[in-house]
Amino acid sequence: MSVVTGYKLSATLTLFLITLSNTVCSSEGEKSSFNRDVLPILSDKCFHCHGRDATNQDSEFRLHSQENALADLGGYFGIKPGDLEASELHLRIRSNDYDQMPPEEAVRQLTDEEKDVLDAWILEGAEYEAHWSYTSLPERVDVPDEGIQWAKNAIDRFVFARQQFAGMSPNREMGKEAWLRRVTFDLTGLPPSITEIEDFLRDDSTNAYENRVVELLAKKACAERLTTEWLDVARYSDSYGYQRDERRFVWPWRDWVIEAFHQNIPYDQFMTWQLAGDLLPDATREQKLATTFNRLHSHKKEGGVAIEEFRVEYVADRTHTVGTAFMGLTFECSRCHDHKYDPITMKDYYGLSSFFANIDERGLISHFTDAVPTPSMPLPNQGQEQALKEAELAVATAEAEYARVQEEARDDFQEWLSHRKPSPLLQGIVAHLTFDSFETPQPRNDDDNVDKTQTSDLSNLYGLSNVVTPGNLALTSKANSLVPGRRGQAIQLTGDDAVTIPNTGQYARDQPFSIVCSVKTPETKQRAVIYRHSRGWDDAGSLGYELIKLGGRLNAKLCHFWPGNAICVETEDILNPGQWMHVAITYDGSSKARGLRIYLNGIQASTTIVKDNLTRQITKWRDGEDYLAIGSRYRDRGFKEGLVDDFYVFDRSLSALEVLQLSDGESLEQVLAKPTDALSATELNELFQYYLLVWDQPARQARADLRKARRKWNAAMDATPAITVMRELDQPRPAYLLKRGQYDRRGERITADTPEFLPDFPADQPRNRLGLSQWLTSPNHPLTARVTVNRYWQLMFGKGLVRTPEDFGAQGERPTHPALLDWLARDFVDHGWNVRRLLRMIALSATYRQSAVVPGEVREQDPENRLLARGFDKRLSAEMIRDNVLAVSGLLSNKVGGPPARPYDISLSYKPSEADQGLGLYCRSLYTFWQRTAPAPVMTAFNASNREVCRLRREVAPSPLQALVMLNGTQFVEASRVYAANLLARHDENSSAIISEAFLSLTSQNPKPKQLEILSQLYREQLQIFEEHPDRAEKLLAVGNAINETTASPARHAAVTVLVNSIMNLDECVRLP
Amino acid sequence: MKQPSTENRSHCTGFDNTLAVSRREALSRFGHGLGAMALATLLNPKEVCGADLAAAVSHLPAKAKRIIFLFQSGAPSQIESFDYKPVLNERHGEQLPASVRMGQRLTGMSGNQSSLPLVGSPFGFAQYGQCGAWISEQMPHTAKIVDELCFIKSVYTEAINHGPGVTFMQTGSQFPGRPSMGAWLSYGLGSHNKDLPTFVVMETHGQGGQPLASRMWGSGFLPSKHDGVRLRSDANVVLYLKNPEGIDPASRRKALNRIQELHRLRLEETSDPALETRIAQYEMAYRMQSSIPEVTDFGEESESTLKLYGDDVKTPGTFAANCLLARRLAERGVRFVQLYHAGWDHHENLPGGFKEKCKQTDQPTAALIQDLKQRGMLEDTLVIWGGEFGRTNYCQGKMTEGNFGRDHHPRCFTMWMAGGGVKPGFTYGRTDDFSYNIVEDGVHIHDLHATILHLLGIDHERLTFKYQGRHFRLTDVHGHIVEDILA
Repeated sequence: MSVVTGYKLSATLTLFLITLSNTVCSSEGEKSSFNRDVLPILSDKCFHCHGRDATNQDSEFRLHSQENALADLGGYFGIKPGDLEASELHLRIRSNDYDQMPPEEAVRQLTDEEKDVLDAWILEGAEYEAHWSYTSLPERVDVPDEGIQWAKNAIDRFVFARQQFAGMSPNREMGKEAWLRRVTFDLTGLPPSITEIEDFLRDDSTNAYENRVVELLAKKACAERLTTEWLDVARYSDSYGYQRDERRFVWPWRDWVIEAFHQNIPYDQFMTWQLAGDLLPDATREQKLATTFNRLHSHKKEGGVAIEEFRVEYVADRTHTVGTAFMGLTFECSRCHDHKYDPITMKDYYGLSSFFANIDERGLISHFTDAVPTPSMPLPNQGQEQALKEAELAVATAEAEYARVQEEARDDFQEWLSHRKPSPLLQGIVAHLTFDSFETPQPRNDDDNVDKTQTSDLSNLYGLSNVVTPGNLALTSKANSLVPGRRGQAIQLTGDDAVTIPNTGQYARDQPFSIVCSVKTPETKQRAVIYRHSRGWDDAGSLGYELIKLGGRLNAKLCHFWPGNAICVETEDILNPGQWMHVAITYDGSSKARGLRIYLNGIQASTTIVKDNLTRQITKWRDGEDYLAIGSRYRDRGFKEGLVDDFYVFDRSLSALEVLQLSDGESLEQVLAKPTDALSATELNELFQYYLLVWDQPARQARADLRKARRKWNAAMDATPAITVMRELDQPRPAYLLKRGQYDRRGERITADTPEFLPDFPADQPRNRLGLSQWLTSPNHPLTARVTVNRYWQLMFGKGLVRTPEDFGAQGERPTHPALLDWLARDFVDHGWNVRRLLRMIALSATYRQSAVVPGEVREQDPENRLLARGFDKRLSAEMIRDNVLAVSGLLSNKVGGPPARPYDISLSYKPSEADQGLGLYCRSLYTFWQRTAPAPVMTAFNASNREVCRLRREVAPSPLQALVMLNGTQFVEASRVYAANLLARHDENSSAIISEAFLSLTSQNPKPKQLEILSQLYREQLQIFEEHPDRAEKLLAVGNAINETTASPARHAAVTVLVNSIMNLDECVRLP
Repeated sequence: MKQPSTENRSHCTGFDNTLAVSRREALSRFGHGLGAMALATLLNPKEVCGADLAAAVSHLPAKAKRIIFLFQSGAPSQIESFDYKPVLNERHGEQLPASVRMGQRLTGMSGNQSSLPLVGSPFGFAQYGQCGAWISEQMPHTAKIVDELCFIKSVYTEAINHGPGVTFMQTGSQFPGRPSMGAWLSYGLGSHNKDLPTFVVMETHGQGGQPLASRMWGSGFLPSKHDGVRLRSDANVVLYLKNPEGIDPASRRKALNRIQELHRLRLEETSDPALETRIAQYEMAYRMQSSIPEVTDFGEESESTLKLYGDDVKTPGTFAANCLLARRLAERGVRFVQLYHAGWDHHENLPGGFKEKCKQTDQPTAALIQDLKQRGMLEDTLVIWGGEFGRTNYCQGKMTEGNFGRDHHPRCFTMWMAGGGVKPGFTYGRTDDFSYNIVEDGVHIHDLHATILHLLGIDHERLTFKYQGRHFRLTDVHGHIVEDILA
């Protein structure tokens, strides 16, 4: 019995220790709490082998649920509630023998205190509780009665109650100017001006604080500040990331975020638009633009990678970002196995991730072209919008006109029928290769037309005669050979060596064309390129047009970027290997899949439409036009051992009769020769189509007009920038569990679903991202609101109520104030997810007003400030440090939004680029060009996140590099010099006035006499140096681009510059009071 | 000979020292420079010296105190350098036998070629040293030091492309986000030196090739102070190291004295420990302004040393200059010096390209080993040489007389280590006659990492950092120490 009491006592002691070091004691007192005391131990020390992930652990004993832990294991028990000696868990953790737990070699061992906690818990009945953050947000949370006198609002009563229980009391209120500095930085990222400080100090009205907060919240600067925080969460960068890391156009999304915060749109909408704006009914451009959020992950641009691997990686990134940003859960673990600590199964993971997989994307972006990865949407400016509208209308008009002309042509057709000539002369042939003999190629001066991936050495090439333009020989590597063909000889291809036809087939998508040839394939299993006007496959987005063989099917396409911006049709019937086949494709210039046809042996093949969304150009490679080539393509599989004969290119769309004529050599001739009354209805119709395309003058004119209108529309579209967005596929992509998380190891089929341990997916919602956001924003969702208010609490205090904002799971920290967190979350939801209201409440709380300064002994009592019995030490963020000096010096631009800016340090980044001249040097830091693999070095020096992945907090740590940046960095020296000139203009020779003002504007407080004295000494010393060395003054004053506007002597100006720069470097300037 | 004078504290105990001194004592020390206390330990001792960490780093005796990693970015061909395969010359031009390839996937760059002809190395090979290692004629200087080297011919990786490959070698994961090896060591071992960063990165200037990213030396989720500090080859060796024009060191010192006076004033008022850190931060910055120019100035190096590294050594930013600088940094206690030399990605024109790369790197590499040896530093400095993967035994693109290319090959490649705790003049692991598959003693990247940490006295399973609820390691959940190569 005495033993038992001993355990109890020591467990209570332990609780006290834990309270101070890690978690929080609630007012329940002595009895241990599973969530607070036990679960963290089990999770960290036991679950790795005795947890949820049953398939990946050796032991059958599982501790994650009471049912498992208390189960009869054949006469003995893991845990027998109330009975230590019958509990294997107790015996093992106390054992020093071979059976001790954790085993001797385990990395994480139990401390004695932890063993005591576990024993006490067993004795108390080994009760399990649902994890705090997985339980629904309570409908109501009672506010404690305590602390009424001190409290300014409900927040404070929760805080006071905790302090009181722990025997602490609130710290004194900070001075008014200190509060103003803190709240101004926290809400706007900028310092209060001297006027603002003076006004506020003068204002002794009862609502002085409140008025100030309301004013700050309404500023654009506040929206910029909130956006800055969101950019880390959203892993925003102005470049694609990974290896090549080229620039991308996504900043309009950032400007949308600023505007959303400025409008204070409800946070549930803010989320919904970003997750599923495209799925909202009649989605607006802004709603679609918001979905760029889910495309801000890195995109791969490195030829040769396993493309599916990276597509899967993008989906994973979205899943992890949404999991972290909105749910505070670490889904990553369950990508490869059931989560070891949280109840997230692999099935949960893939169920959630499949919501983010249903877009028409590719795991590789184009290396050789500037195509924006799909899905994307055009983002026109006003002028472009107007041009697009007009061009679209013109196309519609021209289409209607062509339709009308076709109807009218019927009469003329009758007329033509009676006068038609029998000659089946095919118009519009621009190339015809017969492959009957090799010739010696002549040197050319347009080597653009030689396949650079092969050789340009003419001695390795043969010429092939071109019937239409005998001077324009086609070229082939000598590796290809001539063999008996369908007619005369044909070319047999190696698969690695192309036949290229110079200056041929360079067709924009408004140009109708046809390509006709005979082919013989040796097999019907492999992919093979038959011909293409396209430099590359996947790493060129397949830009161009092509005919390929996919196993036994033929596949014709026109691509801007495969797969999201292309038209593609594929034959249904399987080819016969070893047999000649006549293949024609015709295209009508419409950019529509129905305008692209495949004919087999003269008959239009039945095809399926694979893609029908071509909206941009198909001809522009980064290094110029490409050439038409047969039989191979860079990094693609060529037509190995395939035969090609009689290859024709037409610069118009052939009619069916013409194609048939080319195939059988007689049909058109025969029909043309038939007397009119002998023609069948089908023949008449075919002849009419032929007539329209070849003979009818008005139709010809209408086609030319239509083509012109299309060209204009296409040009207007090509001139309009595209931005990556989410656009749901018509049919969800089949989703699979991926074994061990590997992209190519598919397991069972998965349907889109939310994790089982969280509320059910609403039955009345669609299983897509929109349904998912409805689920996430449902009013009692256990995580969303808690995670959000915690992030904003962190924004104001520097630390969240949950100190691990990215992990609300078993391994994360428990909230320091669970009831307060719940109350805030409930209040947030009940008041329409109003971020501004939440921030206002926090800013106006007594808790927020507490000074950070306490005696050392008090600090020792609660080193991590878990009781919130003082303000937090907070260094300014990277952005604030730079913006502060720009603001104080008067250099800061007040321009909101726009393309990324390039301040001085961009020219010193790991991948340097030229700094801007003028405005771009002085924009707020959230606009600084963000290159993922080489971020702005000044931002990095001050611990900015690198934006590779979603991050909810930054690790702020001092380093000597920061001192170097602030003392020597161009931006900081220039700002010092410019501010010095302003000070001299205002105060002339009055150095103490200069010091006072500089100190006040940089630290929001007046210097104390001792500080004034030291700074005066500093000034005198520097003045002396510069008076002795005027050349040095001149040099210092030349740092940066801004013009010096002062009449003061260079020595004086330089000395004040050093003075200002020194104040900038003071702790009071970079940390909040 | 210069030896770091500040190695007297045992691992991760500096924090005790720091706390043991009174605030007054600490302050008076700050006034005279920070002494032996590294900046890192002044921050949050708990963070620097977590419970896991103390166990990890005091667990094993360290054989090496520092690392110099000569990373050859782009992936040098093992077949042209160390993995001598006469069979490839005998069967030059024949197709890669299916029995060798065994259906394994190839990259998207050569995977669709209709023909995969084997290519023998055009370079002569001979055996050198007492160990009789085979070395390519393109590496005559390396040939002279083979008895110092420990070759691992059986390194393999999962990555088939540069981005993932280099990221894997440097961080233990193919995907961005994890801390780099140097950051782990900085976190695990702390600083050796009061005036220089713990982890320094240099890149040979102007090599082109596959782009690198700053995450290769980033701290991932570790505190960002463990980021590698890149030394540039231009005037601003470290970002904004130089005073602005018109500020000379004496006037800077004067201004700094006043700044520090103001900081001390504030410290007395608030007793806020962050002020102590701030004071130290500015002193260290000031010292770096002289210590870094000092270390990058080769003026005191003897003619014979300079000659050893070759003519390039006089041009800042060359591999030779970086190798010598690496030695000078190592001498001063920098824990991890990471060199990058790019441009080994020989998909085409391999013979010419490979020769050029060897010309740039062979002599300085050998010189570094010899130099370290002469100074008695090789025994506790671990030098590592290698790229992110190997190259194919078959030709990528068109094979012509005297010219060919090789694609990426993750299944086997050669790396070598020298010095600190590895067997000298030793070869480990073996590939088949085609340098395609490993037939003996494969060493995965995780194994390599585990072994490197072991040599520095770190148990790779215990050097962990808890992030997002998980205890992360450099070796993830893998890695075996390659016992056979330990001296």
